[in-house]
Amino acid sequence: MPSFDPKKITKIHQHLHSHLPSDPALRVKALETILVEKGMVKSENIDKWVEVYADDIGPKRGAHVVARAWADPDFKARLLADGSKAVDEMGFAGPASGHLKAVENTPESHNVVVCTLCSCYPFAILGMAPNWYKTAAYRSRVVREPRAVLAEFGVELSEDTAVHVWDSTAELRYLVIPERPARTEDMSQDELAKLVTRNSMIGTDRDLKIGSA
Amino acid sequence: MDGIHDLGGKLGYGPVDVNEPEEPFHADYEGRMWAISRTARAPSVTIDWWRHIRELIMAEDYLNRPYFDSWAQTTIASMIDAGVFSIEELESGISQTPPLGQVKVVDYDGVLKQNTGMAFRFDRPVEEPAKFAVGQTVLTNAKGHSGHTRLPEYARAKVGVITHYRGAHVFADDGAKGLENAQHLYTVSFKAIELWGDTANPNDSVSLELWESYLAAN
Repeated sequence: MPSFDPKKITKIHQHLHSHLPSDPALRVKALETILVEKGMVKSENIDKWVEVYADDIGPKRGAHVVARAWADPDFKARLLADGSKAVDEMGFAGPASGHLKAVENTPESHNVVVCTLCSCYPFAILGMAPNWYKTAAYRSRVVREPRAVLAEFGVELSEDTAVHVWDSTAELRYLVIPERPARTEDMSQDELAKLVTRNSMIGTDRDLKIGSA
Repeated sequence: MDGIHDLGGKLGYGPVDVNEPEEPFHADYEGRMWAISRTARAPSVTIDWWRHIRELIMAEDYLNRPYFDSWAQTTIASMIDAGVFSIEELESGISQTPPLGQVKVVDYDGVLKQNTGMAFRFDRPVEEPAKFAVGQTVLTNAKGHSGHTRLPEYARAKVGVITHYRGAHVFADDGAKGLENAQHLYTVSFKAIELWGDTANPNDSVSLELWESYLAAN
């Protein structure tokens, strides 16, 4: 049983700080080794999970959700009403999709997502969070100076465009629906999905380009 | 807890590295740590206790060591704390006790299926009616406390408007103590000028999910 005692944890951290090897790869290896010894982990299962998150579960899932929302107004209504149900309908349920909220960009507004307290992220539809999303730089600044951070990503907004920052402080996770680019009326959902960047679904990209994929 | 993890609005960090490669993992150990965290955890560990353990990492390590290294340290600490393995067993790589069981081998489709089953929900039925309504103005608590909490420092003693009611969710502060108590949860929108002063753009806002006990009527 866990102790739920922060003082005990602080002591363990201090011990680990001075006793574990410095190389993170060796630390993870040590953890995997002892868990295999304890029968709690199989290394071949770990290989498979890495494969699944490298090949299947990533931002292309989210891109298909966005493309379908663009192409299918009924689906978009369902996605905005209950994001979790809508992605489940597409077979994309998974870690952190239990309370999914979609927020939509408009010509007058821009949405951007952060977790200032840790690194919460909708893994099931966006896969692994980029490293920058988890850094002190992004977490500290995007709530306070979102326009400066967005400018670093190449997103320039007029003063009149409202920026809405969503700080994921509970178990709700956010998916930004970027605006559909003009002159894409003839595109299939698969073609549309290729226009949707990972960053546009976090909110650090805005104007999607045709032919950039 | 007013720890190093409570980064929102703190100055002195940046810029953001916008040119990071798009690959999901930048080193093998990152993928392995992610996978271990999906498949193995100490019994009775709650997500909030796990987050609190991560918050308790020494500040210099929290800021300077790689991200997935902090996951390794958090998981290791949670397992040592819960008696899954000892520091000596971790260091030697040899278990001093026979395994309690053996996990089954899963194939690719088995992993996909397990992954689909991880859309956990945190809303729970409660009997008490919600105190606040959408559209209402609320004032957040001025003080935090020494334990795990999800009211960041930058959003304390601030006035915001409830934009959504999200049902009653497992209360994070108690979850970190191993208790499952649900409380009404609201999305509260704060004007950027309320949080950061007149230099902020009057059109901008920051929204957070806040539990009922973080809020008072204003």
